Amino acid sequence: MRRLAARWRLRSLLRAAAPLLLIGLLAGCMLPPTPATTTAKSVWWLYLIVFGMGAAVFFAVEGFILYAIFRYRRRDDRLPNQLHGNNRIEMVWTAIPTVIVLIMFVVSMISLAEVEARSPEPYLEVEVIGFQWQWTFRYLDGDTDPSNDYSVTGAPGAPPTLTVPVGKPVRLILHSDNVIHSFYVRNFLIKRDLVPLPNGRNNELELTVSEPGVYAGQCAEFCGDLHAEMTFNVEALPLAEFDAWLASVQAGGTPQPTPSPGTTTVALVADLLAFNIHQIDVAAGAPFVISLDNREAFSHNVSIYRDGERIFFGDYLQGPATTSYQVPGLQAGEYTFICDVHPIPGMTGTLTVE
Amino acid sequence: MTARTRAAAAELPISHREAGMPTPLVGMLLFIASEVMFFGGLFAAYFNSRASYAGVWGPPESAPELEILPIALPITIVLLASSFTMQFGVWAIRRGDHRAMTRWVALTLALGVTFLIGQAYDYTTLGFGLSDGLFGTVFYTLTGFHGAHVFGGAVGLTILVARARAGQFNARHHVAVEAVSIYWHFVDLVWVALFTTLYFLR
Amino acid sequence: MATTTLAPRFGAFRRSWVWDWLTTVDHKKIGILYIVNSFLFFLAAGLLALVVRSELAVPGLQFVNVQTYNQAFTMHGTIMVFLFVVPVLSGFANYIVPLMIGAPDMAFPRVNAISFWFLPVGGLLIFSGYLVGGAAAEGWTLYTPLSGAAYAPGYGTDLWLVGLTLVGTASILGSVNFIATIFKMRAPGKTLFRMPIFVWTMLVTATLILLATPVLAAGMIALLIDRNYGGSFFDPAAGGNPVLWQHIFWFFGHPEVYIVILPAMGVVSEVLPVFSRKPLFGYRAFVFATIAIGFLSFSVWAHHMFVTGQVFLPFFAFMTALIAVPTGVKMFNWMATLWRGSISLTTPMLFAIGFLTMFLIGGISGVMLSSPPIDFHLQDTYFVVAHLHYVFFGGSVFGVFAATYYWFPKMFGRRLNERLGKIHFAMHFIGFNLAFFPMHELGIQGMPRRISDYSATAGWTELNLLSTLGAFLIAASILPFLVNLVATFINGERVGDDPWEGNTLEWATSSPPPAYNFDVLPPIRSERPVFDLRHRHDAEHLAAEPHPPGEGEA
Repeated sequence: MRRLAARWRLRSLLRAAAPLLLIGLLAGCMLPPTPATTTAKSVWWLYLIVFGMGAAVFFAVEGFILYAIFRYRRRDDRLPNQLHGNNRIEMVWTAIPTVIVLIMFVVSMISLAEVEARSPEPYLEVEVIGFQWQWTFRYLDGDTDPSNDYSVTGAPGAPPTLTVPVGKPVRLILHSDNVIHSFYVRNFLIKRDLVPLPNGRNNELELTVSEPGVYAGQCAEFCGDLHAEMTFNVEALPLAEFDAWLASVQAGGTPQPTPSPGTTTVALVADLLAFNIHQIDVAAGAPFVISLDNREAFSHNVSIYRDGERIFFGDYLQGPATTSYQVPGLQAGEYTFICDVHPIPGMTGTLTVE
Repeated sequence: MTARTRAAAAELPISHREAGMPTPLVGMLLFIASEVMFFGGLFAAYFNSRASYAGVWGPPESAPELEILPIALPITIVLLASSFTMQFGVWAIRRGDHRAMTRWVALTLALGVTFLIGQAYDYTTLGFGLSDGLFGTVFYTLTGFHGAHVFGGAVGLTILVARARAGQFNARHHVAVEAVSIYWHFVDLVWVALFTTLYFLR
Repeated sequence: MATTTLAPRFGAFRRSWVWDWLTTVDHKKIGILYIVNSFLFFLAAGLLALVVRSELAVPGLQFVNVQTYNQAFTMHGTIMVFLFVVPVLSGFANYIVPLMIGAPDMAFPRVNAISFWFLPVGGLLIFSGYLVGGAAAEGWTLYTPLSGAAYAPGYGTDLWLVGLTLVGTASILGSVNFIATIFKMRAPGKTLFRMPIFVWTMLVTATLILLATPVLAAGMIALLIDRNYGGSFFDPAAGGNPVLWQHIFWFFGHPEVYIVILPAMGVVSEVLPVFSRKPLFGYRAFVFATIAIGFLSFSVWAHHMFVTGQVFLPFFAFMTALIAVPTGVKMFNWMATLWRGSISLTTPMLFAIGFLTMFLIGGISGVMLSSPPIDFHLQDTYFVVAHLHYVFFGGSVFGVFAATYYWFPKMFGRRLNERLGKIHFAMHFIGFNLAFFPMHELGIQGMPRRISDYSATAGWTELNLLSTLGAFLIAASILPFLVNLVATFINGERVGDDPWEGNTLEWATSSPPPAYNFDVLPPIRSERPVFDLRHRHDAEHLAAEPHPPGEGEA
């Protein structure tokens, strides 16, 4: 009988220790990252309130259970009092949780109104375009002509940076014409999906970053093979620096290289996530041109690899559009040409140089 | 219920009357509840698509507008009539007249097959298909699955006719007839909802 | 392994036991078939989980390529939800519910058999994607447009859709069976409010299956049409809306999670009273809370879609917050059952109490997610993965193991070894918390879900490694369980009708029961007829006025 009691005690102790230990270990860390936007701060406090209430409920309920199984362990064959229930206590413990969740709901709605507030005139508007599997950030300059907007596009391993000012509202227009992606920056405590909607509609998000810094972001809606590589950064610059940066990038353009006469031109067409040819033959030592006709709305490029090492990188081209890549003369051998954005069999080929 | 069928029911043993709804009928009603939710899902897709569609909701421009004549309204009347004939068959077997029941059920089957043939013919005159845009997709999916359910009901009716001719039904034992009749009325109701939605609500 | 020990065998007509099991319509054999089939799928899906956790232990892609990884987590989720946790609980219900209501079998025995056999066929169809170029790989939620023909070419997704339509049809037929059985085949005296709570939870579960699964079927058919017949349901270029898929899926998907948890809650509601030697506290409140959860579960689906920017947030946030209330009522009633009881910590009781703690954590993380601003941060991160595993695994699977250890003696006439059971529980409990508690923190720190790899500089490595260790400990904990099964079948402790001093009718017949279930039924005057029978000569029990449950103290 005593050995039985000792086993109960040990087991109760283990049952108490295991979860509490884990929770104690991690409790210090169960808080979100430092909030870096004005709305993130209010969400952070909401989180603390709700998490605090949850933790309190957990310790109260779990403590009760552990106490009960220890205190009321079976010692003999007597039947305990066969209590069937109590209507009054049922009403009490229905009413109190209802009040608690209603309070939580109201506090959440207040915070939600803040998060979803839109200013009449954002300081900056950026179109965030998601594709498989990277991002393009296009800074809208107010005219309705997209071809003179400065944009930056990422590559796997080379995430793009969205540059924004500190202290001013930035409106993000979230656009996808392929699958659903999600724009998520952990220090902003917010994410919003990029949904290919009918009728040209887009989701929008408005943020005001409160501290300068570089903040990591990542696609948070599973979008296929390279979902895990769809990372980006948000760099928040103090206002004056940002203004200077924006002015300088909007002035410059991306010049189109013109091919010199007499060089071999390989005509590559990208459509339906595939190149039209998978075998290119060129002469050794002679520079040549790859003209890329991108016929779809995805971003493609052409890079050349040998033995796993990239020896030529062509800029990304958001279609539908055309561009030309000037490839320097190569040594004889077998190379692979591939689209870095979509390294799938349809967009891979062999380049034989002899 | 007519006085004749009421009198016939009163002759059943008291255990039948006190036992409540026969279990196979309970099963059929539950199954129909699931079918309501299935069509509910398809109707939800229809209304959601219609609400978010930018252009004019209806057949593509190359095809004519949906008309209730000369096919849609007549086949609706045929199907509605088949519900009446089905119910006459149920009342017949409740009073023990299995020959009349067989005739009414066979007529129901014929009307149902007429509906299906009419529906198939209508498809050939519409001028658009499943892959011709969003309206085409939801139109054919909804009407196609309804037609499939009518076909299933027709199979059930055929089995009823065969079993009736083998003498398996009488006033006391005919729960299969009741069950299939409930299914048939359900299929008819779904068509009324479909017809109203597609041809009148638009 | 006879389940019909008291029924004489026909001497002249010899049937092989294989044919017997293949063609049986006996709810007890079908229940065992469900349970065995489900455990096999559990092991397969568990191996897929180990593939995922092995890859995530440290940064870098060490073991599999991204396509294999994406198929692994998709198939893991699909198989666990549709081919393990729902069918295994259906299997226990199939065995136990007719016994608990004093019926000789289910209402439609042949439909019962077909419902089972669709499962291995559907499951194999879903898996056969691996044989035709790759299984489905878009996550178990299969969001469009990713799951459409343009971005998921290949047959894997189509096989998934067709296989799951079969499985769903089987579920619907099974639910018709359960509801008809419960309403039409209760023994005399077994009024609705004298049914065991497990039967009530199965009734509500079956209603949810009946009403929610067909909607999923409609959606899956729409996707098949889009993928294969030029349809435009989800194609924005033609005016369709990809978010329509999410609405259809989650309208089913949220009732689905209550389909998964309610039977386990029913099991816990049977086990706790038996091993506390007191009735369940608040029987009526429990019934109404279960029905309320059933109703409310149809009104909350879009809380899975808060970040799509396409739903009316206040309504769904409100309804989701509300559904926490009946769940809380149940938790308080369980706690009150333990209070002032006489508690034996047998293995089924350990799993039932473990359920209480794990489900509490899962419920709290769920309430956190119900707040849209918090959800904007935590949705699609490992916080959600933690939440779903605490409720699915810590909740339902703990319930499954409680049911296994509790009803194994009834099914096979032998009790599973207690020491091995406790070792199983300890390893399982520790492994589970080690695997999934760190995921809360990973999600709060912003680690998205469904990623095959992560950056070494993100600071997520240590917790991922811890989580992988936990996963392998869970896998290891299956070993004492399997050893226990084998050893018990060979030479386990034999038991009689009622080894646990149970309350409900299944303990009023032999272990295992005869083919027709009962020779005689005890008088049924409360929800605990076997308890009443055992205490029929007890003067105190006789002197107390018979009272329906829920009215005042004994």
